[in-house]
Amino acid sequence: MFDEAFRRLLVRIAPPAAVRAAEAAPGVPPLWAEIRESGFLDALLPESAGGASLTLAEFHPLALACGEATLPAPFAETAVARLLLHMRGAAAPADAAILLAPPSAILPLAAHATHALIPGPANGTRHWSLIPVSLTGQDPFHCGGGSIDLSAPALFQVPADGEDLLVIAAALAAARMAGSMARLLAMTMEHANSRQQFGRPLAKFQAIQHQLAQMAEQLVSATTASGIGLSGSGFHPLRSAVAKCRTSEAAHDVTAIAHAVHGAMGATADYDLQLHIRRLKQLQLAFGGTDHWARQIGNARIAAPEGTSADFIRTHLHAGTPA
Amino acid sequence: MALADLLESFAPATIPAKAEALRPAIKAFLAQHLASRPPHQRARTWTAWDADFSRALAAKGWVGLTLPQRYGGGGQDAFARFVLIEELLAAGAPIAAHWIGDRQSGPLLLKFGSEAQRKRFIPAICRSEAFFCIGMSEPGAGSDLASVRTRAERTATGWRLNGSKIWTTYAHKADWMIALVRTSGSSDDRQRGLSQILVDLKSPGITIRPITLLTGDSDFSEVHFDAVDLPEDALVGTEGEGWAQVNAELAFERSGPERIYSSLILLDLWTHHLAATDAPALGRFLARLATLRAMSVSITARLAEGQSPIVEAALLKDLGTELEQAIPREIADAVSANPNTPPDPELLQTLAFLMQLSPVFSLRGGTREILRGMIARGMGLR
Repeated sequence: MFDEAFRRLLVRIAPPAAVRAAEAAPGVPPLWAEIRESGFLDALLPESAGGASLTLAEFHPLALACGEATLPAPFAETAVARLLLHMRGAAAPADAAILLAPPSAILPLAAHATHALIPGPANGTRHWSLIPVSLTGQDPFHCGGGSIDLSAPALFQVPADGEDLLVIAAALAAARMAGSMARLLAMTMEHANSRQQFGRPLAKFQAIQHQLAQMAEQLVSATTASGIGLSGSGFHPLRSAVAKCRTSEAAHDVTAIAHAVHGAMGATADYDLQLHIRRLKQLQLAFGGTDHWARQIGNARIAAPEGTSADFIRTHLHAGTPA
Repeated sequence: MALADLLESFAPATIPAKAEALRPAIKAFLAQHLASRPPHQRARTWTAWDADFSRALAAKGWVGLTLPQRYGGGGQDAFARFVLIEELLAAGAPIAAHWIGDRQSGPLLLKFGSEAQRKRFIPAICRSEAFFCIGMSEPGAGSDLASVRTRAERTATGWRLNGSKIWTTYAHKADWMIALVRTSGSSDDRQRGLSQILVDLKSPGITIRPITLLTGDSDFSEVHFDAVDLPEDALVGTEGEGWAQVNAELAFERSGPERIYSSLILLDLWTHHLAATDAPALGRFLARLATLRAMSVSITARLAEGQSPIVEAALLKDLGTELEQAIPREIADAVSANPNTPPDPELLQTLAFLMQLSPVFSLRGGTREILRGMIARGMGLR
């Protein structure tokens, strides 16, 4: 399967050492060359354009895998940007690592991108511009985020066609978060099974078991929500809203439990847990957090109060079927 | 179960068009039958007993929807039942009378009952002529179900039953109970020696006392058996296999929309009264609910494939009841935020009911702690 092959690729090219190296040396990481050669960047393009014609739902596992691996490169973003540009009759430079850069408290992966797709010019909403990335801000989480110079001269413009880059970026961020949470739970279970205290593994203590069960609940919920964001024949504001609202909310509990079970060693730079923790917290803030997206859903429901909540969910907030 | 397998169980699923096609007729029926019921009554949904309503539903073919047609059922799949139950709960239909028979006793008898038991009871369940309850908890056995002491001993003509059941949903109105009882050994034998037995609640020697809850409602009762004689064919399934049979029921009991929609009537009522500043709170509820619904549809797909997703059902129920309890808690804070604008009286009444009942949501059908223990064991942690 596509996603298994992709996951194996990431395990090989993006071990924790490569992630740390990318943090220390901003720029497009060496592993990008292998991603380009793998062909996965065209996964969403139609077969007629040399792609694999994946649906968003089929692409979801690949986006999750980026989070699982803390991949220090905008793979999902570039793959989606290539599709968006293709649909508008344009194409990015072949080697571009593309960021989606709508307004955001922070732009994750900005330090590892060559280009950015931004709304505008001049913050208009009817067009997008592809600009070269020039970093202007620092990432307080030290994992390759930042802000970029939006006044850089555009390579070209394309019509937005009514789509919102924030909606798309939020859905991809949600999937990255859910993938990261899966790895976090796996690491936390490994630790609970191996770490001995009071003469037995932590996993034998009921208080720990119940926390891990809650962590699994939040993981399943976040993964399901991010799957709603990446479903149907295109991105949708309310589906992205469910995805980003829920994953950002779930990340609070998941990171807190991961820390609680790991004890102090989970807060050290040496241990790999923090690679996920820092990215999850950065992503919680990116592209609108829980409240922003919750407000979009709430306002949509207030504007359409007829029927039950179940009707509203069935009509607007369920995983859309591909056209 | 590996984490990857757990996530795979929740792979996205879609309700097939055939099941969706049922929805309009159900909506029309409910609009006609529930128009005069105020929200504070509709909020009781599957805890409200209305035998006439259950019979009207049965007349439409909507009781025993998944049971085989040869026994009077609808012969449809788990997705059809999901659609039906979702509509019943969202509308706040009073479905307690047939609920247990439809959800558990009918499927249990189909799976483990004798042909004579199936022919006798399943058609009666589907016509809403026989209402069932389940005798599980006892005064000394709640979450620790394996320690039941109620005992059925063999006699020349069948079985003699002695003991007590408690927290039995609507035993005081039901016609039949399927009880988990000890047929051999002692409570030290735990799961071994338990059997399921059918009890006609009109039998001599049975005393039933309803338990009044803090809401004033009486959904549960205490049942005493004093030398109750039961016929030979009262045994359901295999003697000594009661524990395994009961566990097979649990995925049905914990995975459905009833574990996510218990506060839906309140949420919908509040939607018509809330302030613009409440939009994020409403949105958070809906995001959680949409996600839970997708998870419930995924489990329904596993049930439709014939699997028994017990761990997945426990996970859904724990998350679902958390939301069902968060809704009244947060709406209480929202509607009391400004003493100068008292809440709408009907909203207040519906809210008050759910503020009082909602602690029970994470007790009934398996407590939060039991469920988390099951999930942990499913993850290989014990």
